[in-house]
Amino acid sequence: MSTVALKEQDSHTHEHHHKESFVSKYIFSMDHKMISKQFLITGIIMGVIGMGMSMLFRLQLAWPDEQFGILEMLLGKWAVDGKLDPNFYMGLVTIHGTIMVFYVLTAGLSGTFSNLLIPLQVGARDMASPFLNMLSYWFFFLSSVVLMSSVFIETGPASAGWTVYPPLSALEKAVPGSGLGMTLWLVAIALFIVSALFGGINYISTVLNMRTKGMSMNRMPLTIWAFLFTAILGVLSFPVLLGASLFLIFDRSFGTSFYLSDIYLDGIGALENVGGSPVLYQHLFWFLGHPEVYIILLPALGITSEVISTNARKPIFGYSAMVISLASISFLSFIVWGHHMFITGMNPFLGSVFMILTLIIAVPSAVKAFNYLATLWRGNLRLTPAMLFSIGLVSFFISGGLTGIYLGNAALDIQMHDSYFVVAHFHLVMGSAAIFGMMAGIYHWFPRMYGRMMNNTLGYFHFWITFITAYLVFFPMHFMGLAGVPRRYYQFTLMEDFSIWGDVNKLITVAALVGGFAQILFLYNFFNSIFRGKKSTQNPWQSNTLEWTSPIEVRLHGNWPKELPTVYRGPYEYSRPDRDEDFFPQHIKDEESPEVLYTTKTKVAPKKVVLEEESNVFFTAIKRLFGLSR
Amino acid sequence: MKILSRTFTFNILIKKLLILLVGAFVTLLSHAQALTNVIEPPKEFDPSSWNWVNIFIIILVLLIVLVIARAFDIGGLAEKITGKKIVSSHKINGYVSLVVLILGLFGVWWELVNHGKLLLLWDAASEHGADLDSMFMWTFGFTFVVFIITEILLFYFLFRYHYREDRKAEYYFHNNKLEIMWTIIPAIVLTFLVLRGFTVWTKITQTPNKDAQEIEIFGYQFGWKARYAGEDKQLGESSFTLISGTNPLGLAVESEATTLKSNLESEILDLKSILASSPDSIRLWRAALNSMESKGLGNAYVEEHKLLKEKVLDGESGAYANQIEKDIMRKETNVKRVIAYLSKATIFNKSSYDDRVTTEIILLKNKPYLFLFRARDVIHSAYMPEFRVQMNCVPGMSTVFPFTPIKTTEEARISKGNPAFDYYLYCNKICGSAHYNMKIKIVVLGTESEYQTWMLAQAKVVPPAIEAVPASAKDSLSVLPTIVSNP
Repeated sequence: MSTVALKEQDSHTHEHHHKESFVSKYIFSMDHKMISKQFLITGIIMGVIGMGMSMLFRLQLAWPDEQFGILEMLLGKWAVDGKLDPNFYMGLVTIHGTIMVFYVLTAGLSGTFSNLLIPLQVGARDMASPFLNMLSYWFFFLSSVVLMSSVFIETGPASAGWTVYPPLSALEKAVPGSGLGMTLWLVAIALFIVSALFGGINYISTVLNMRTKGMSMNRMPLTIWAFLFTAILGVLSFPVLLGASLFLIFDRSFGTSFYLSDIYLDGIGALENVGGSPVLYQHLFWFLGHPEVYIILLPALGITSEVISTNARKPIFGYSAMVISLASISFLSFIVWGHHMFITGMNPFLGSVFMILTLIIAVPSAVKAFNYLATLWRGNLRLTPAMLFSIGLVSFFISGGLTGIYLGNAALDIQMHDSYFVVAHFHLVMGSAAIFGMMAGIYHWFPRMYGRMMNNTLGYFHFWITFITAYLVFFPMHFMGLAGVPRRYYQFTLMEDFSIWGDVNKLITVAALVGGFAQILFLYNFFNSIFRGKKSTQNPWQSNTLEWTSPIEVRLHGNWPKELPTVYRGPYEYSRPDRDEDFFPQHIKDEESPEVLYTTKTKVAPKKVVLEEESNVFFTAIKRLFGLSR
Repeated sequence: MKILSRTFTFNILIKKLLILLVGAFVTLLSHAQALTNVIEPPKEFDPSSWNWVNIFIIILVLLIVLVIARAFDIGGLAEKITGKKIVSSHKINGYVSLVVLILGLFGVWWELVNHGKLLLLWDAASEHGADLDSMFMWTFGFTFVVFIITEILLFYFLFRYHYREDRKAEYYFHNNKLEIMWTIIPAIVLTFLVLRGFTVWTKITQTPNKDAQEIEIFGYQFGWKARYAGEDKQLGESSFTLISGTNPLGLAVESEATTLKSNLESEILDLKSILASSPDSIRLWRAALNSMESKGLGNAYVEEHKLLKEKVLDGESGAYANQIEKDIMRKETNVKRVIAYLSKATIFNKSSYDDRVTTEIILLKNKPYLFLFRARDVIHSAYMPEFRVQMNCVPGMSTVFPFTPIKTTEEARISKGNPAFDYYLYCNKICGSAHYNMKIKIVVLGTESEYQTWMLAQAKVVPPAIEAVPASAKDSLSVLPTIVSNP
C-alpha cells in the first residue's frame, strides 16, 4: 500500500502534474504564477475603486457649488442633495491615498510582478516558500476587505489624510472618521504589513538562493535587482510602520500617551495625556513612508529597464551603473525621511542635514534617466504599448523627479510644503510613473500570464489618452502650488486668493474624468483578451530572459517540464553584431566558447561580453562580502 | 476560416457599440427635452441637469474612441488577409509622439505665460522672501533646462528610431566617459543648490534677533487667535489645563483658574450623581423602549426609536457607566492639575493680564517678528504664502518662525491691482471638517501711529478695572512706551 503511494508521489514530482481541485488551483493556490494573477486582479479592482474616488472628489473641487445627482446616488447620506459632505471628502482623499499607495502600487505592482517574474527570471520552480506566498496574498485580500468595509460604516472612513497624523487620527471627537473608521484603517494596515513581510522575505530568499545554474548576480535582469531591493526596503521599513500603528492603537484604545500631549478638545475639556509627541509619529511613519516611495517606484523602474531594452533591441545602457544607482537609491531612501518634516517643528539643523542627504538622491536618479535615454539612442524601437508606457514612465520620472529638487530643499519647502506643488510632484513621480510601470508590465507580460496577446490598437489609445490627461491633470497643479494653494481643501471658494483657480480646477477635473474613463479601454482590453485574445507564441517579444522559455501554452506548477534552463550570459544581449538575429536568449549555449561562459567562478569571461568584465570588480566584492556566489 | 470568424466577432462588436451609441443619443435627446420642460422641475432624482449632459458627452466621447479603436483593427485585418504590412504602428506612434511633443511644449509655454502671472513667487512680502525666491529661480533655471532637453530627446528618439525592419540597433551599452559626465555634472549642480539652500535655510531659521517682537499664534478647530504682549513686553504663561470657555487660550489668570476649578468640581459632582442613578435611568429607558415597541411605534418614530435603543444598549452593556467614569477621571485629573498650577506663584505672575488676544494679526512694516505657535487640539499649520512663512502648530510643542514684513497691505493692493486684497494666514495641515475655512486676516500697517491706535482699541485679557490699577498707572497706558518699535 505504502509503496504504491510512494510510487504515485514519485510520478507526481517527476511530471509536476498535480491533480488540482478548483480551490487549490484558483483560490488557495501556491503556484506563484496564479498568486501573481490574484495580486494583479485584486490590485486592478482596488485601482478602479481608488481612481473612482479621486474622480468623485475632483467633481467637488471643480464645481463646489453644483449639485450632482450621481453623488447622491452613489454615496447616499454622504452627499445629501448631491453635495459632498466635507468629512466624507476627507475620507475619500484618505482612502484614495491609502488604496493607491499601499494596495495598488505596493501590492498590485510589486506583488504581481515579483511573484510572476522572480521564479521565472531566475530559473526557479517556485518561490522559496509557496505557502507563505499564498498567505501573503490572503492577508492582502483580507486587508483590502477590511479597508473597504470602513467606507460603509456610519461614522465614515478614516479621514486624517493617508498619513493619519495623530492627534487628529487618535481622537474620536476631533473628526468623526477617527472613530471606527480609523480602527479599521489600522487593522487593515497591520494585515497589509504582515502580507508585505511574508512577500518580502520570500522574494529575498528566492533571489538569493534559488537562481538556476549560471544565473550569477550580475546576470540577473534589472527587474530582479529592482524586486530584490524593493523587498529589502519593505522588510526593513514596514515593521517600523507596524510599531507606529501599534502605538497609535494603544493611544486610541488603552489611554497611553505616545503621541498625545497638552490637548484640549472642544466639548470634552483638557485630556489627561501628557508627555507624548505627535512628531514622534511622523518620524516613525516617514521612516517607512520614504522607503515606501521607492518600494513603489523601484519595481516600476525595473520593469521599464527590461521593457525598454527588449523593445529597443539594444542592451540596457550601463547595466552596472543601473544596479549601483538602484542600490544607492535604496540605501539613501532610509536616511532622508526628514524631508517630509522640514516645517513640523523639527530642529532646523536636522532639517539642513536631511536636505543635503535628500538632494544626493537626485544623482543616482539622474544617472538612471540618462541611461534610459542612452538606451533609446540609435535603438530600433518597437513601439508596443508596453514600450510606450515605459517611455511614459521615463517622462514622468524626469518631470516629477525634477520637482523633487524643489521640495528637497528645506528653504523652498517652507513655501511649498503641503501645497498643490507636492500633490503634483508625487502624483507624477510616484503615482503616474509607477502606474505606467505597472501598465508596461501588464502589456509586456500578459502573454506570459494568460498565453494570449492584448489588443495593440486599444493599447495605443489607452496609452496616449492616459499620458496626455495625466499631464493635463498634474502639470497645472504645480502652478497652483507655487501660488500657495493648500492641498486637502474641500473647496476654494471661501478663500478669495484661491478662487481664481476655478477654471484650472475645472480643466483638471475634465482631464481626470477623461483619463479615468479611458481606463475602460484597458479594462475591456484586459478582460476580453484573457478569454478571446489572439493566442501568443512562445516568445512574442523575442526577449532574452528565462520567463519565455517556460511553456506558456500550459500552466505548469514548476515552470519547466524537465530540467531547469542553464544561463550562459547576461539578459540584455540584443542586436549583437556577430549574430543575425537581434536577440540572444540567456539559455542558449554559445557555439564558439561553450564551457567558459556559464561559470562566473572561473572569471574567464570572453572578451566579447564586456558587460561582465566591467561589472566584475563590483560584483565580486559584493559576492565575497555576502557570500552570494553560486 | 480563422479570418472569417474574426471578422464575424468584430462585426458583432461594432453592432453592440452602435446600439450603445444610439441608446446614449436617445437618452441624451430625451433628457434634452426634459430640460426644456420648465413646468415640472425634476424632483428627488434631480441631477442638476446639465451635469448629466456632461456625463453623457463624456460617455459618448469614450464610445466614439472605442469605435475608432476597433476601426483601426480593420488595418490589422487587412494585413492578415493580404499578408502584407500595410501600415506600421511603430511609424504611426513615432509621428504621434512628435505631435504630442510639440503640443506639450506649446502647453508648457502656455502655462508659463498664463499662470506664471498668478504665481506668488516673485513678489514676496517679507524680508527673507527675496532669498527664498532667488533660490527658487536658480532651481527653476536648472530644472527647466533639464526638463525641456530631456523630454525633447525622449520623444524625438521615439520618432527618430522607431522600428524599421531593415535596421539593426547599435550594440552600444557602455561609455565610461559619458556615464561619469552625467554623474558629475548633476552632482556639481546639486552641490551648488544644496549649499545655497543650506545658507538660505540657516539664515531664515537660525538667525536669532533679539529685537524681534514675539506674537503668539494660537490654532484651534477651526480658527486662529493672535496674542500680543502688553506693556510688560512679555507674553504671560499659559497651559492647556487652564483652557475654559472664558479663557480660550488657557492663560495664567488666577480668577479664571479658580472659576475653572470650582466649575470642574461641580461638574464632577453632577457626573457622580448621574452615575449613581444610572441603573434607575437605564431601567426607565428600557421600560420606555419596551412600551414603544409593544405599541408598534418603532416604525413611526424611527429616529427616536434608534436613539433610545442605542441608549438602552449602551446602558445595559455598561458602556454608559464606563464613559461617565472616564469623564469623571479626566475631570479629576484636570482639577488636580489646576490646583497644582494655582500653587505655583511663578506662573500666576500677572504677566498675562495685560496681553491682548486679537482676531486679526496686525503687523508693522519693516519690524522683525518672532511668531510663537501653539495648537489647542490637533496639528495645524500656519501658512502665510505671501510672506513665505509656514510652520506647524503642534499640541504639546512650541514652534517658532521669525520674519519681517516689508510690504504694507496698501502697497500690496496697489502692486496687485486689487483693492480688495488682504493677507491671510491659512491652515495648511488637515485638521478636521472645516479645515478648508480656517484662516485669519493679516494687516501690515505702514506707520507707528496706526499701529498704536489699533493696539489701544484691543481689550486686555484682564481689564484694568478688575486688576484695580491705580489711576496714575492707567494714564501712563496711553503713552504705550513699550510697543514702540526699534527704528
